[in-house]
Amino acid sequence: MKIFLLKGILKDKSRSLLPIIIVGLGAMLTVLLYSWLKGVIGESIIMNANFNTGHVKVISREQAKTPEQMAIDLSLVNIAELKKELKKNVSDMDWVERIRFGSLIDFPDSEGETRAQGPVIGWGLDILSPNTKERERFNLAPSIKRGKMPSKHGEALISEDFAEKFEVKPGDVFTLFGSTMEGGMAFQNFTVSGTVKFGAQVLDRGAIIIDIQDAQQAFQMPDAAGEILGFFNSNLYDTEKAMKVKVKVNAMFASDTDKYAPAAITLQDQEGMGQYLDYADAIGGILITIFISAMAIVLWNSGLLGGLRRYTEFGVRLALGEDKTHIYVSLLYEAVAIGLIGSLLGSFVGVLISYWIQQVGIDLGGMMQGSTLMMPTVIRTAVTPTTYYIGFIPGVFSIVIGNALAGIGIYKRSTARLFNELEV
Amino acid sequence: MENEIIVKLENLVKRFPVGKSHFTALRNISLEFKKGEFAGLVGPSGSGKTTLLNIIGSLDTPSEGIATVIGKRINDLSHKAAAHLRNYNIGFIFQTYNLLPVYNVFDNVEFALLLQKMTATERKKAVMEALEWVGLTDKAKSKPALLSGGECQRVAIARAMVKRPALVLADEPSANLDSVNSNHIVQTMKQLNRELNTTFIFSTHDEKVMRYLDRVIQLVDGEVASDELIKHED
Repeated sequence: MKIFLLKGILKDKSRSLLPIIIVGLGAMLTVLLYSWLKGVIGESIIMNANFNTGHVKVISREQAKTPEQMAIDLSLVNIAELKKELKKNVSDMDWVERIRFGSLIDFPDSEGETRAQGPVIGWGLDILSPNTKERERFNLAPSIKRGKMPSKHGEALISEDFAEKFEVKPGDVFTLFGSTMEGGMAFQNFTVSGTVKFGAQVLDRGAIIIDIQDAQQAFQMPDAAGEILGFFNSNLYDTEKAMKVKVKVNAMFASDTDKYAPAAITLQDQEGMGQYLDYADAIGGILITIFISAMAIVLWNSGLLGGLRRYTEFGVRLALGEDKTHIYVSLLYEAVAIGLIGSLLGSFVGVLISYWIQQVGIDLGGMMQGSTLMMPTVIRTAVTPTTYYIGFIPGVFSIVIGNALAGIGIYKRSTARLFNELEV
Repeated sequence: MENEIIVKLENLVKRFPVGKSHFTALRNISLEFKKGEFAGLVGPSGSGKTTLLNIIGSLDTPSEGIATVIGKRINDLSHKAAAHLRNYNIGFIFQTYNLLPVYNVFDNVEFALLLQKMTATERKKAVMEALEWVGLTDKAKSKPALLSGGECQRVAIARAMVKRPALVLADEPSANLDSVNSNHIVQTMKQLNRELNTTFIFSTHDEKVMRYLDRVIQLVDGEVASDELIKHED
């Protein structure tokens, strides 16, 4: 009987090929949507962590009240000692100091008059130490469009869009204007070593990167930094671990009553990242649920129609002496087989496409011209363990439910009526 | 066992609900069919022929009265027991053949045996024998779509007969056939009736079929109007 049914499935294309294609498409689209959402959310988290928030950030208590303001006068001091303490107590993280600043840069002409001038947001990073990971975090080397990485103090990288707009090229000298940690005016000359494009509109519009020591010098911040960021060695954000580090670091300085004493905050405490993660999770969950439900309805209908179409066959089988339950169970077995084959094929294709998009990405820069969000312009999917089975949920369950519902008709209709439908 | 009664119907009534009321399809039908009979239910459309065949074939149950088929009371049978009765004892032949189009002739005939505990070798032997009865051994691998109407109905006869049932119910088996094919298939069934002593009950209003019947039961408005034994001059 099993061979007979299998023969039927293989020979009747409307019973096998068509449902497999529909199930496969449904599973593939589910996999793609899921990995797309995961990719967008994941890339945004990584980008925000690398550029802004770290996995854990240590700032002064005053700064912690309004961490998004990046006030240079609320910076941490004695950072060499502080980093030593952090490395000793939380050894499985890479601790790096940074200075973030907002300033004006001025490009003079040959006469020394202003040729171009504009506001920028800037980072003072450890880019010159031989073992620094900051270059990788900012993806600097691959992001360079013109020129080269800074190789000595006094060199800076500026964003390509800014450079194009103000007709600036590598080798040009500019003056950085800002305010010192004590509230005075800060001036420092830099040479453009190269231009960079980060792939996030908010950065590409106007950013400058200089070495941390140059920033300390420019803003008169010896042994001081705006923030110390902690990154897990795995480079993956883990909410639970981050919370533990936050609690531990805050406990280390609990007895210090100074308002500039260090305070730790996690990625989720910063720049609405907590809400963003919750929101992304919720929206992702809703979208995937809606999509899976929609696919389930399509596939369920496909199963339902397939089942209804076969009432003639069921009538023959009843007349020949097959039991209603046997017919119903065989219908479900068929649905499971079709669902599994379709889901397997659909998921396979879906994972392949997702993997490809994960590798090459899709550039949406043109659509994000005015965006102020720190989101990557090249969107990539993320293939996670869930990607491999998410397609099976609508694929298998819905076609089984569809067939199960269609099959209920076998019970609800009297045998004679089913049988009489043979003559319709 | 020549006079063994295999179908006994006592005061059968069948009503179908129609809105809040009901329609009476069969009224007080009392009939007996003996083993080896070649009988026909004749009458106009709506006279109750198919309803009666459905009850005899355990596809339906009477509203009142008792139907006993091959020793089983149809009224009391579960779905499973009714399926078992059909599987082992009753063959069906339909007006529109109802062969499963994706399977070949052999598979269609074999299907009736798959529900029984038979080995593949036993099934193959039985199928080929059944196809030989209807003269279609050379078409065993053909799909129904490639067969003529007459050939399809012969496959249906083979499918009904392959399990050697005690009773075959044929609902208007010649309605879709021309006169040559009608005669051919009725002759085939008559021959099987003689050789295997299988009871055939037809529903028909085809004169060509009626010529071969040994017994003609006329149904009018759900009642037996006449029940006549026919003497044939062989």
